[in-house]
Amino acid sequence: MTANNRPLDPGADIPGTVGGRETAPDEQPDTSRAPRDGRPGRRGVFTRLGAPRAPRSRLRRRAWAGARMVAALALVGGLYAAFAPNVHAEDSSTLSGAAQQGETLYNSSCITCHGRNGQGVPGRGPSLVGVGSAAVEFQVTTGRMPLNQQQSQADRKQPMFSDDQARDIGAYIEALGGGPQLPNGNDFHSDGNISDGGELFRVNCSSCHAFGMGGGALSSGKYAPSLSNATDRQIYAAMLTGPENMPVFGNNQLTPQEKQDIIAYVRHQTNDQDPGGFGLGRLGPVPEALVIFLVGIVALVFAALWIAGKS
Amino acid sequence: MKRRKVDLADLPARSAGEIDDRLQVASPLRRLFNKVFPDHWSFLLGEIALYSFIVLLLTGTFLALFFDPSMQDTKYNGSFIPLRGIDMSGAYRSSLDISFDVRGGLFIRQMHHWAALLFMAAIVMHMLRTFFTGAFRKPRELNWIIGILLFWMGFTEGFAGYSLPDDALSGTGLRIASAIMLSIPIAGTWVTTSLFGGEFPGHVILDRLYIVHVLIIPGVILALIAVHLGLLVKQKHTQWPGPGRTNSNVVGVRMFPGFALKGGGFFMIVFAMIALLGGIFQINPIWLFGPYKAAVVSAASQPDWYVMFLDGSTRLMPAWEFRWHMFGNYYDIPPLFWPTVVLPGILTMLPIFYPFIEARFTKDKAVHHLLQRPRDVPTRTGIGAMAVSFYLVLLVSGGNDVIADKLKISLNAMTWAGRIGLLIIPPLAYYVVYRICLGLQQHDREVLSHGVETGIIRRTPEGRFYEVHQPLGPVDEHGHGELPYAGWVVPKKMNRVGALLPTLRGFFKPVETVEDVENEQSSNAPVSPAPSRHHEIGTGGRS
Amino acid sequence: MSTTTEHDDDFDVDDRSLSRFDLVREGARRDGVEIVHYAPKFPVPGTKREKRVVRTVALLFAITGLAALGFLISYIWWPYEYKSGFNINKYYTPMLGITLGLTLLSVGLAIITWGKKLLPDEISVQDRHDQIVDQTERKLTGATMLNMVDELGIARRPLLAKAALLGLAPVGALAAAPLVGGLIKDPHHPDVLVHTGWDNKLTNNGQPIRLVRDDMTPIRPEDISVGGQMTVFPGIPGGNTNDYGDSPTLLIHLRDDDADRLRGNITGQVPANENHMYGNLVAYSKICTHAGCPASLYEQQTSVLLCPCHQSQFNILDNARPIFGPATRRLPMLPLDVDSDGFLIAKSDYQQPVGPGFWERP
Repeated sequence: MTANNRPLDPGADIPGTVGGRETAPDEQPDTSRAPRDGRPGRRGVFTRLGAPRAPRSRLRRRAWAGARMVAALALVGGLYAAFAPNVHAEDSSTLSGAAQQGETLYNSSCITCHGRNGQGVPGRGPSLVGVGSAAVEFQVTTGRMPLNQQQSQADRKQPMFSDDQARDIGAYIEALGGGPQLPNGNDFHSDGNISDGGELFRVNCSSCHAFGMGGGALSSGKYAPSLSNATDRQIYAAMLTGPENMPVFGNNQLTPQEKQDIIAYVRHQTNDQDPGGFGLGRLGPVPEALVIFLVGIVALVFAALWIAGKS
Repeated sequence: MKRRKVDLADLPARSAGEIDDRLQVASPLRRLFNKVFPDHWSFLLGEIALYSFIVLLLTGTFLALFFDPSMQDTKYNGSFIPLRGIDMSGAYRSSLDISFDVRGGLFIRQMHHWAALLFMAAIVMHMLRTFFTGAFRKPRELNWIIGILLFWMGFTEGFAGYSLPDDALSGTGLRIASAIMLSIPIAGTWVTTSLFGGEFPGHVILDRLYIVHVLIIPGVILALIAVHLGLLVKQKHTQWPGPGRTNSNVVGVRMFPGFALKGGGFFMIVFAMIALLGGIFQINPIWLFGPYKAAVVSAASQPDWYVMFLDGSTRLMPAWEFRWHMFGNYYDIPPLFWPTVVLPGILTMLPIFYPFIEARFTKDKAVHHLLQRPRDVPTRTGIGAMAVSFYLVLLVSGGNDVIADKLKISLNAMTWAGRIGLLIIPPLAYYVVYRICLGLQQHDREVLSHGVETGIIRRTPEGRFYEVHQPLGPVDEHGHGELPYAGWVVPKKMNRVGALLPTLRGFFKPVETVEDVENEQSSNAPVSPAPSRHHEIGTGGRS
Repeated sequence: MSTTTEHDDDFDVDDRSLSRFDLVREGARRDGVEIVHYAPKFPVPGTKREKRVVRTVALLFAITGLAALGFLISYIWWPYEYKSGFNINKYYTPMLGITLGLTLLSVGLAIITWGKKLLPDEISVQDRHDQIVDQTERKLTGATMLNMVDELGIARRPLLAKAALLGLAPVGALAAAPLVGGLIKDPHHPDVLVHTGWDNKLTNNGQPIRLVRDDMTPIRPEDISVGGQMTVFPGIPGGNTNDYGDSPTLLIHLRDDDADRLRGNITGQVPANENHMYGNLVAYSKICTHAGCPASLYEQQTSVLLCPCHQSQFNILDNARPIFGPATRRLPMLPLDVDSDGFLIAKSDYQQPVGPGFWERP
């Protein structure tokens, strides 16, 4: 295990240069040490979405979600029309170009739940001040945000915004209160060591995402998602920010190089054709059990019927 | 030297004579050739198990040539890139080498694993057939018990084999096995440390499991199979009731050539099935799991299907621990003990004693060679349905996390559903199946009494409609059939009594023309007044 | 099968007028088998249907040959070496499976078709003969067996029986002793089930043991992110290997309010866990108290730790109390501290036995 030269000197920052940009020395705000700034709900990353609600039937939920979406869009449109000039007038002087773009998008799609200037709306959405652009990018590019409805866990779906738009919103949120950022670039796997990544994956990731990366069930309806559709940036962002119930793997814990190793391993495995034929979703003995009965036994019973049939 | 002219036609007889001079096998050999076997598809389920076992021996021998059960640390240097440079045991390294660096090794490994799953599946199917048809009754109780022992031997053999590659999944399984042993009162800790040579995992367990897997249990299974088949030959096969079939004869075909050809052909088909599974469906991809490390685990950790029901029972078990203070020490029975030691114990002893329990309750001490249709013994069929549903709830619960994840159900809800289902579903299954059996019986009796529905509707002069029924045999003065209820198939369609053309043959589409069918003279009606003509004795095939 | 003797005395095997089938039937009869129905499938040779069946069987054998050839060719020439990604090598195993499967399948189909369609229709009836139990035979055998006992004279000389029994009992034990004795290992000396690798007296000469990562590097409190978890091992030689299979530990960095809740749940309620936290850091054994799997599915928002083997769930904020599933015991907490170099250490071994329960668990 000498692959990673981990600096042991306590004072030293981790010299992480990824994708040509110097990473911030401590991208993970250490809230246990830093004095609380008084803003409520700073800890969450788009999570803790309001009070838990009683489960409803799927169909009704869908219908409600659609209706709510329309209502939300109308409301947001109205709000935008009402407030947009003011907002611009207030903030434009301090924001970069990207952040201004992001602010526009934020005010049209996110403000309903997360409030003006990312302050959060009690019971609807947490404050986004300090969550950083990495969290925004993860949530928006995987389509988890904007949410259709309040639910225990946001599902991956078709994203509403392009990657560039997501980065713009990220820049805006970053400007509001800092937080973890992703390095530049889209390729975080080419420089990774697959074997090291595999070792790290098995110790840190496989317990929830499973050896086959198909994800797995957590308690009470929560789940760890499959990694097969995740992009490099999304995996990186997930490790860095710990979305939803996923633990945070800050850069002190998994160095940028180690994160790249893990991404390299994930990419290799998800892009590796199964050598033993159809992989059955890499879900282990459960689908194998189905196959032996539904294919093996059924076919052989049919054969037996044919053999013993009169002719 | 003058070459003697060899008469080829004379050769077989002469060589047979030469052999018999020395071995005197003529009459036992002929007795073997002439042994009669009844023919029914359900009698072939046990054969699937037998043939899978042969494939297991063949593929296992190949694997043993390359496998190394060592737990010594080595560094992997084979061709599977994602594991290069990783520390692992010799067992895992050699399993990877079989998968990636031995030509065709992965194919043989997958065949071996699929054959193991099929072996166990066929044993279970065979047991179900034996149970539901009453084939376990006197004089076959011993063979029934041997069958149960074979299941548990296969279970242990499979578990040992699953553990050998020393990948993370098999190590997790072994970890649970050690915990199960630990949970046994009084002897648990001693048994565990003795088997593992100290604390889990130690350095010897794979060597021990290896010898268990390749020598001891296969030897025991072979011996049990030999006795199983020996008893089958000695007692002769059971048969379905039917015309000409009695409790004191066997109706079927002689072993050679007819039965042997079918058996040999079926072996090839089973072998082919295993080869196709082994080639087409990936099984146990150990390279995804990595080497076993005590800190590593994966979501959806399951054993193979035949162990899964015990995993299910463990998952459903409530958190009940018995702990008390006695003689200055604490004593403890962990919750693991009940679903993994006590339950399998019950599940072994109940079926072993079932033939005797049933005989006691039914006061039936007679020798039985004729099978019973499940509908004719509703109580037994209901009990069987109860057992099957109990087992299925456990089996499904063994994979409840995968089901929860894929179908987006709460995991906790799945567990509760399993706990409640385990109590509710079996009695429900008993009741439903019992009623179904009675209903089917009733329908058979109605047809015997009133005849087959012809589909011809007549109208009486008074304007009443009625359907014409075709009696199956002679009728009494009331027009009611006089055929007794015989516990065998009652024809319910006109073509089955020869009044209409037989249906065209063919599995998915007809393979013969209407003329073919018309030309065929044999009617093979299963119910006939008297077996005067020979061909009315059916062979009991698919009907 | 004593029927071989009850054959028809009039039957003359050398009678030239008998057909071979007459001989077969007589042979079967002597084995208690009556061939009651025997009819060739195709009494008239060369019909269209017969030819069709013969052609089918022949075709199946031809397919067998071709598929077998295909198997050999793929086995030898198809590239089988592992190559990353999607490529032709990945079809090696499927090729072998399909060709071998096809070979065996067509052999099987050919043989069975032959047996079903070309062999004569036959119904034979064999007597079972076990209906009439020969009571005479039973009596004679029984007498023979009882006579054995008489001959040995055990009834007359009871001392012999007792002596033999007493003398032979130790021999049975003697036979078992070398088979079992070599395996026996005392679980209590050393007490492996109670101590883990974190016991510095046993494993580190009494020196405090550092918490290390999988790559054996020590850990500072700030290395682990808030809301993060890390699998740590005892920093002793081999500490991260399976030699210390009971020692993997889950180090968790709680948020302020969660840490406060945990501290509240420890103080006065679980004295065994007092002063085990370091700041907001808490370390629980990763080995599930139910069946020993690594319980490591940590949900950082809901603070639930799930074990993937049997779904036991533990509440991190309440001393890892089991809240769902079959587990009955809390995950033991490792007492944490920091050494003079600023690295995390374990103050002592776990205060309770780690892993699955057992009979004499203290």
